Order: sequence, then structure tokens, then C-alpha cells
Amino acid sequence: MFLSKVSLVIVLSGAALLAQRGDREALGQRASKILAANCVGCHGAPLINAGLDLRKRETILRGGDKGSVVEVGSAAISKLYKRVAHEEEPSMPPGRKLSDGDIATLRAWINAGVPYEDILDQKEEESRAALSKLEERPITPNERNWWAFKKPVRHDAPKIASAAWPKTTIDQFILASLDRKGLKPSPEASKNTLIRRAYLDLVGIPPTPAEVKEFLADTRSDAYDKLVDKLLDSPHYGERWARHWLDLVRYSDSGGFEYDRDRENAWRYRDYVIRSFNNDKPYDRFLKEQIAGDELYPGDKDATTALGYLRLGVENNIKTEQTRIDELDDVVVTTANGMLGVTVGCARCHNHKFDPIAQKDYYRMQAVFFPTRAEEKPLVTDAELKRIKEETARIEELQKPLRKQIREIEQPTRDKFIARRRAALPEYMRVALATPVEKRTDGQKLNAIQVERSIENIREEELLAEMPLNALTKRELIVAQIADLDKQKPKLETAMVVKENGREAPASYFLHRGSLSQKGSIMQPGVLSAAFDGEWKFPAPPENATTSFRRAGFAEWLGSAENPLTPRVMVNRMWMYHFGEGIVRTPSNFGKMGERPTHPELLDWLTTEFVQNGWSMKHIHRLIMKSAAYKQSSDDNDAGVKADSDNRLLWRMARRRVEGEIIRDSILATAGTLDRSVGGQSIFPYIDPSLFQSSSKRTWNGRANSDPATFRRSVYIFSKRTIPLPMMEVFDRPDTMSSCARRNRSTVAPQALIMMNNDFVSVQAKHFAQRLEREAGSDTDKQIRLAYDIALSREPSATEFASARQFINSYPQGLVDFAHAMFNINEFVYIP
Amino acid sequence: MSQRFFSRRELLWKAGGGIGGLALANMLQGASTSPLAPKAGHFAAKAKSIISIFCYGGVSHMDTFDPKPMLAKRAGETIPGKKVVPSQGTPGGLMPSLWDFKKYGQSGLDVSDLFPHVATCADDLAVVRSMHTISNDHAPALYQMNTGSIQTGFPSMGTWVTYGLGTENQSLPAFVVFTDPRGGPIGGAPNWGNGFMPTAFQGTQFRPTGDPIVDLKPPQDMTPERQRKWLDFMGKLNAEHHQKNPQDTELAARIESYELAFRMQTAAVDAVDIDKESEATKKLYGLDQEISSYVGRQALMARRLVERGVRMVQIYSGGGNFNDSWDAHWDLKENHTQHCTETDKPIAGLLKDLKSRGMLDSTLVIWHGEFGRLPISQRMSGRDHNPYGFTVWMAGGGTKGGTIVGATDEFGLEAVDKPKKINDLHATILHLMGFDHTRLTYMHNGRFMRLTDVEGEVIKEIVA
Repeated sequence: MFLSKVSLVIVLSGAALLAQRGDREALGQRASKILAANCVGCHGAPLINAGLDLRKRETILRGGDKGSVVEVGSAAISKLYKRVAHEEEPSMPPGRKLSDGDIATLRAWINAGVPYEDILDQKEEESRAALSKLEERPITPNERNWWAFKKPVRHDAPKIASAAWPKTTIDQFILASLDRKGLKPSPEASKNTLIRRAYLDLVGIPPTPAEVKEFLADTRSDAYDKLVDKLLDSPHYGERWARHWLDLVRYSDSGGFEYDRDRENAWRYRDYVIRSFNNDKPYDRFLKEQIAGDELYPGDKDATTALGYLRLGVENNIKTEQTRIDELDDVVVTTANGMLGVTVGCARCHNHKFDPIAQKDYYRMQAVFFPTRAEEKPLVTDAELKRIKEETARIEELQKPLRKQIREIEQPTRDKFIARRRAALPEYMRVALATPVEKRTDGQKLNAIQVERSIENIREEELLAEMPLNALTKRELIVAQIADLDKQKPKLETAMVVKENGREAPASYFLHRGSLSQKGSIMQPGVLSAAFDGEWKFPAPPENATTSFRRAGFAEWLGSAENPLTPRVMVNRMWMYHFGEGIVRTPSNFGKMGERPTHPELLDWLTTEFVQNGWSMKHIHRLIMKSAAYKQSSDDNDAGVKADSDNRLLWRMARRRVEGEIIRDSILATAGTLDRSVGGQSIFPYIDPSLFQSSSKRTWNGRANSDPATFRRSVYIFSKRTIPLPMMEVFDRPDTMSSCARRNRSTVAPQALIMMNNDFVSVQAKHFAQRLEREAGSDTDKQIRLAYDIALSREPSATEFASARQFINSYPQGLVDFAHAMFNINEFVYIP
Repeated sequence: MSQRFFSRRELLWKAGGGIGGLALANMLQGASTSPLAPKAGHFAAKAKSIISIFCYGGVSHMDTFDPKPMLAKRAGETIPGKKVVPSQGTPGGLMPSLWDFKKYGQSGLDVSDLFPHVATCADDLAVVRSMHTISNDHAPALYQMNTGSIQTGFPSMGTWVTYGLGTENQSLPAFVVFTDPRGGPIGGAPNWGNGFMPTAFQGTQFRPTGDPIVDLKPPQDMTPERQRKWLDFMGKLNAEHHQKNPQDTELAARIESYELAFRMQTAAVDAVDIDKESEATKKLYGLDQEISSYVGRQALMARRLVERGVRMVQIYSGGGNFNDSWDAHWDLKENHTQHCTETDKPIAGLLKDLKSRGMLDSTLVIWHGEFGRLPISQRMSGRDHNPYGFTVWMAGGGTKGGTIVGATDEFGLEAVDKPKKINDLHATILHLMGFDHTRLTYMHNGRFMRLTDVEGEVIKEIVA
């Protein structure tokens, strides 16, 4: 090799040298064409990623932030070459490879000494085009073929040899897969178990003894079906099932971060969700209202409140472009997770590593929400709004002179303060102040301004501490008057919603590496490419529109029968809430890193059933709850445990501990103290102040544990992001920062501590004991029977009866401790 | 360490991983062990526990461990060619430190008169003078210092460490947090939260007076005998219920959690019972003086907890807002004199006590705020937040005492020599605890998450 090179040089004549120079020039031109078309978009203009500018020879030789990229004359050891040749990671350009010819050219070009035709006048459009080419990440047919992206197919129910067990189509699917494993379904659970299971599952409180009695007495064949229908009609169904949805949308009544400000109107959204479940609002409409209620259903009050969905995330008190895209990220990620069952968060910085989710999809979805701005929308008529504003202004006018009086009272103390501060100033500041304005140095100017602006700024508590008593008393009186007037101001009811600034959406960009300093192409709204083949058509906003109708377009896709994910994800969630696990056990990740469905055909069948029945959730509840699969006993059997210990094939019903909310609700219901009123303002149960002794801005006005105003369902507990109710927190309440698809079910000692020692539980145990005495009299046997009826929906066994009788009579507080024990035993907190 | 999935059947214990009783252990054979059971890191490490002293509000580095004589020379002037943007209000000129510095120990470490007692431990301190952080605002900066991210919803360092190492004492929480009597830090519980990890790994708040844990103690009229009787009765009822499904580990775990809670009632009280300490020890921690007694108690309890196998203790000095924390916007002199005096003796006492008990090697002590303070004046006599440059120090746990790493510029404004990110600090702490920070991961939302996200380099200079 070396020899041949030498000989080549020797034989070159003058003419050949000229020709070679021409070759070099041509090589330089070809190299710059290749780089311009493929690389300069990110390493030149408009972006200079990694500090590397490939537009000029000079900057190519200088290299990037991490050092040189070409070793002149040695392509083999040049970073640029190794990366385009895919010899080194990360390979370039991202996600694709240059042609072999181009790679060979670049090799020859570096070896030839990097001759170059500087790219000076590349047109803006050209470099943009190069960039936009990079942003493309086409979805292959094979990728589209992933089970979750395919449209559900309605399979016929499998034919089963043993036709006795199946009650519904669901059962045929379940039995077919049990058959394949040689497993048998479990026998039907007792009626006591069934009614308790149905109550805890659908309404989240145990049945009353009367309800149990009535159900046991009803020997008609459809008694259970009637029970399910009755519970679905109960207003408490919405309270129970709204809570699942609130987990998904990371609902909270406060904004998080430094101030964690209370959101006084967030509960309207919570009530909207409860109402929607109770009314069996079609799920597609439910989603559309939350994404684009203003655009799709103008004037509909419910659809307005639904928009609160877009405001539920944490809110940074600092407002910058960065915090804005962080908030949008939260909306995009929550929507994709919760409604579509895919993870898109990683596509903020790069194409998804496992799933066919392009970074561009992420930014097209971001573009959907980009135009939105926060708004507190009055829920009153214009006339009423006008009256409220006028009345408020009138009262504020009355407060003005009072405020002036306060300032006058404070003045002498203020003056004293200021004089003292002036005397304490360091030498250089006093010099600064003494120097005539025009003669001050830059530093002196700053210091002088600072003194002028801050010397009179005195914090209230400091001021009050030094005020004479009589002045203080006078001031107090006026402060009270102002507060009285504040109370007279009419309250304006508003909903937390969003608005946009007109039909035209502001430009949003593809952000390379997720960075605002690396803005790529302007993004148009779009949907998930892997789940929709083609361009989803976004509507043009009407002439008089005040919004871009991007959300309307997206919402229509979400709720369209064309969407393979939305209905599948929801029926899977419903299955999970009923059976403890979904058919897909990763309910918010239907991608490659998630689990595959245990019963894919059943999932598809349920999905088509859902859509064909107007996206009715109650229809799915009925299908599931009336199945033999759901009605099985939850007890183990050896064959099942041996063959399928995780119960993936559903050879028995699941046993599962209820959530913290349901434990608390069950306690209240059992104690007989539960206030069953539905909806409205949140409640503030007691929290030990040492747990939130935080700041003047973050407080919790907890009511006493004895206060019946707090005896409401737990879905109404004010959900403060930084001050969780300990009982909820310890029982795995979601952190409300991001979407929670499935709660952890941990078993930890602090749960036992709360259930043993917490005052709320003790207070309710006393109520329960009193209830037993009230309703069963002083006879211990009757008390025990009643306690089992109320707390566990069944009669005690002989041994339980004997233990209880002995325990209650063994010491004076026996009955209260017995009542307390009922709240604590495993059976009380498990859905049987 | 690869990600650990927790199956439904796996037991999650917050305060205890051990399943007591041989019978139960046998019954649970085949089930995975508790996530809090002690486990090894990626490599052997000296440090077993962490005590973090968090000077919440932001401590001034120019007035404590990073002397800047230039400030006195240029008092009242501006920094040439630099426009300093404060977080609030109008910027002033350069403000000299209000305290004198001296050199201490064989290493000749500079410490100001604010920390005369800590100064006597100079040769144990590894000081990083070139820290910088992203946010200029308390909550995000606190979150970043604790979780690596300025957003909420990420696991705190204590969570990561207990996730990785479990804990040595199953009757105590693995990760304990003490807050200031004047209030908790801004941002609240997410500062020691488990983020996207199971609650088993979250920090547990201990109160320094009364019962350490809320609901730790039964109501007054509930005697231990009565409670024992009650538990036995419940045990009978649970056993009958459990008989139907004896292999259900979740039910078994719940039964055991009550026994553990019962034991914790005494174990936790005992762990914080500093009356068992000698008068000399109490004095060492500054308990004999009102001003330092609060942090002193916490520091002493921290030692007792670490001694009993607790993995991480975090002490917040300063709470609430304004002067209740280290946030010296108004009056630096009053503010830092107060907070330094509150903490100086307790911190020095802790270091000396750990050392004399041979525990300093296995205990990593970290002293830090969420950011530093600016070299210019604010509101005449205060200093504003400075995320561009600040100091943290570490002691024990395999660090190299008497070291100084990095530097801020001559005014103390920006880290200029060997600037270190919070990710670097976290990488170093994990390294000292026996982890390669790039391999301690947890799968969340389709991503392998790390405390250090995608960055972080170990600060090798301070590793012994």
C-alpha cells in the first residue's frame, strides 16, 4: 500500500497534478453536498448541536465541544467517518445510514486532506429541509402490525365441550384457556360473598345487614343480576369509580411546588367525573369533553367543567418558556398514558427506543395543546357577572379610607424603623448615598437604589412587634372592619378551564434533544402515527372561532372507532379494577416493554362490544359482573396454585385489599356514621400539625376527628399535593404528580400503626361499639352477631363466636376493642 | 443493579423487611424477599449510612467555607463586565463577608468564625467549592438536591439508597427525616418522597420531641397488656380467615405487619431516647445550650438511629420562610449567626462522636443547602440566592478529609474551576455507598430511570 502510493506520486506528471487538483475540488464539492443534505441541519444551520459546525472547513477542523471530528488524511481514525460508517456510537445521522457511495466519498475526502467548498449561502429552506428530513421517523408496516396498534377483531367465542359453566361469552373465552391448561374454574362463591364483593367493587362500601338479608331471601334466578343493576344505578357507584379515573389524571386540589396553592374550584372537575360515571356518559364523549369540550360542545356546562382535565398537573410558580413546555409535557404524557396506554415521555428527547413512537409524534401532540392558556371561567350569566363585579368594586371603595387610616397609625413606628436602619448601613453604602447622583459609580448607583427601595419595606410582624399598644389596638379594630367587608364581597363561582388566543395557533417547534435552544421545524398537530396509518385530518376552525380547533381534531381521533387503543385500553382498565389485574397487566403500557394480553381475543371481543354499545361503561360492568368468571370463589385450590400461581387464567376470583379510601369509607359505614351526601366542596379531616408545619402559604385547616362534617366519602377529602392525609398516604395513595395506572399494594408496619393507634380509627370504633349497644342491646351474643352482619356481611363461625364472647367479657373496654378489631382484621379490608 | 419488579405477591414493608417467626418464614418459602431486606451494592464500600444536614434556604459559602478577600477590597462596587441578576428585588454592589476566616487543622482549611466548632474537625472535611445547580428558586432547587430533578415526582436520594441497599434494622424505618420546629422545607414531603417507586422506600418523618412517629403510641388508656390481648384476639380471627388460603403471602404479611408495628412502638421510642446518653455526650452535641439543643437532639438521635442500622437520616436546619430558614434576604448577620450557632456544636459533636465510636468511616455526613448566596447585597444587608456557585462538604464514609475541590471566581459568584453538578454530587454519594450510579436503575414509564438521569461523574478527588 505504502509503496504504491509512493510510486503514484512519482509517476504524476504536471498535467496529472492539475487533474488531481480538479479531483480534489470535485471531492470537496461532493463532500459538502453530502454534509449539506444530511448533517448541516443539526450541525451548522439552523442548529449547531454539540458545538459542531460543518458549514466551513475551518470549523470542521476546529471540531465540536468534545474535540476534533476529523484527523486530516486519516479517515479511519476520524470520529466523523467512524460515526457515518456506523463504526462508533452514536451513529450518524440518527436513525439511518448514508449510502455506501456517500460513505466512501467522505472517506476519500478526509484521506485527501479535507478539501471543502464552504457552505455559505445555503438557503434557509434548504437547511430547514435537511433538518425536517432528520425529524422524520417513518413507521414500518411491521411496526404497525404490533397487536395493540391493530384494529380489534371480533372473534367468535370459542366452542367449549363442557357447556355447563359458561354464563356469558366472557366465560367461553376464559374456559377455553383454562381447558387448554387442564384447569377448572372455581365454584360459585356464596351469596354472602357475592353481595359483599359486588358492593365493595361497585360502590365501595359494604352492604347493610338489611340489604344482605333481602338478597339472601331473594331466591329468583335473576336476583344477582338485579343487584348489579341496582348498584349501577346507585349514586355511590360514581364516587367509587370516579376515584379510579382521578388516579389516572393525577387529580389534586392544589398546584404543587413551592406554594402548593389550593385550587378552590378543582372539585368541580371531580364532581363532573362522578356525575359522568353515574350517568354512564359514553366514554368517547367523556374523553372529547375533557380534551375539547369548549370546541365540540359550546355552551354545555358539563363540557366546560370537563376542560379542568387540562389544568390538573402541577404548576410551577416560575413562569418561563421552559416551565411551560414542562407543563405541556405533563399533559401530553398523561393523555398518552391514561387515554392511549402508551408511553411517550422518552420521545420528548429522542425517538422511542422500543416502540414505534417518533419524537415528531410527541411534538405533533404537543402542538395540539400548545395554544392553551389557563382560564378561570365564571359559571354565571353575564348579567350576574356584572353585578358581582360592581358589588366588589363598591366594597373595595369602602375599604380604601380604612387602609389609609392604618398607614397613618403605623407611620411613627415606620419612621423609627427607617432611622435605625439608616444608621446601621455599612460605610460604603452611606458613602454611596452621600455621593451626588451624577457622581456615583456603577456600584454606588446600585446600592443607592437598593437602599431607597428597601429601607421602607418593613415586614408586618416586625412592625407590629414594635408598635405601641394603643396604636396596635386601634389598628386591630380597623383590620377587623376590612375583614368584615371582605366577607361581604360576593363570591364568584368559576371553573378551572383553558382558553386560546384565537383561531391561529402560535408556532410550536420540534425540539431536538428536547431542548428549547435546539428548535427544529414548526409542528402541525397530529396523532400517534403507529396507531393511525395516514394523516388524520384536523378541522379548520370556524370563522368566528376563538380557538384553533386542534384539540377538537385530536379529541375526535381519540374517541373514534378508528382508534385501536382508546377503547381497548379502557376495557382493560375496567377489567383490572374488577379482577385486580388487567388482561394486559401493564394497563398504561401496551407497547413492547409492557406485558402481552393473557386473553387477546377476549380483549378484542370486549373492545368491540364496548364500541358497538355506544362506549357504555355500565354495559361492560354488566358483562363482567354477570359472568361466571367474576362470580367464582376466590379461594385457592391446589391444582390452580400449582399450574398458574399468578392466576393469569382466572381459575379463581382475585382477592385484593381495598384502597385506603375504601378502608376509611368502610369504617365510617360500619360505625354507622357515614354521611352519604354526594358531591360539593371538599372535606378536611384532621392531620397532626407536626406533619405539615410548613409555611404560612401551606396550611391544612383540619377539623376534629369528632366532627361529623368530615364523615363523608374519602373521594371528597381535599387532595393537597404536599400534605397528604397520612392514612391515605400510607395505604399507597398515588403521589398525584403523574398518572397512576395501578396503585401499589404495599403491606407495611406504619399502616398497622395507623389502624391501631390513630385517633380517627379509635373514635369510629367507639361509634361502632355504641351502635352495637344501641341496635343489639346489652346482650353480648347479639352484639357479636350484629357486628359480623354489619362489618363482614356474614354470621360468625362457632369458634369466632366463642373467641369474641370471651374477649368482650374479659375486660371493661372489651366491646370497644372488639369493634376496633373488626376494622383491623384482614377480612374487613379485602374484597372477598 | 437491574430493575426490581414487584409482583403482586411480593411483600412490601416500609419499616421492616423481616418476616418474624420461623413458621412464617417457612410458609413464605419461594416468595421473594422484602425489598427492604439488606442487600449488597455493586461493590464493597466503606459507607453504610448517610446523615445529611440540609441548611434549607441556602447557606452563604462566602461567609462560611469559601473566603473571598476580594469582596472587602471591592466593597460596594460592581463586578466588571458582569450583570448579576438576583431572584428578586434590585441588585446591590459587592458585599464583604461579615466574618473573619482562619485556617484550621493540618490541612489548613479555611473556615469562618461562624463555625468555630466545626472548624476543629477541619481535617475530616472534604469540601467541594464548585457546586452549581439549575434553579434559582427554593422548591425546584430543593427537589434537585434531593431527587436530581427540578420537577416533582422523582424518588429522593434516601429512596434510591434504601432501594439499593435495604436496611439493617427491620424494626425501624430505613430512611428518617427530621424537620425544623419552625416548619418543614418548601416543597414539603416530595423532598423525601418515593416518587415513582413503592412507598416502602419513602422517608419517614420523625418528630424530635414527643413520639417520633405520628400514631406510634397507642391512646393513653391503651396499656401494652391490653394491646397485646387485643392483638392476640385479632390474631385468632385472622388465623381462621387465613386458613382458607394459607399460601397467600399478602395476608400473612399483613398479620406480621401488626406484630412489627407493635415492636416498633418500643424500638422507635428507644432509638430516640437520648436520656440514655451520658451528660458528656449531650454536652458534646450542644444540648446544654438552648440555642443548639434542638439540632443537637436531632444529631444525637441521628447517631443512635445510624447505630441501629438506619440507612439514611436527613436533618433539616431551618424551616418555613424568611429568617426561619437560612434564606438571608434581609439581614445576613442576624440570620447566619442564628442558624450557624444552632448547628455548629451539634455538627461538630456528631463528627467527633462518630469518630470516637469508630462509626465515622461507615457514616457519610453531608452538609449542604439547596444553593449558595450571592456576593452582592440585597435589601442593604442581605444576600440573595446563588445557584451558580456554592459549597458542600462531606465527612467520613470513605471521603478524603482535609481536601478542597474546585473553586468559584474571585467574588464567589460562579463555579469556575472544576464545576460540579448535583448529578456529580449524587454520583459521588452513590459511589461512596457502593454503587455505580449508571447501573442503579428503576424502570418507570418505559425508561430505566436513574438518580443521576443521563449525567453525573464521580468527584474522584474527595474519594479516599
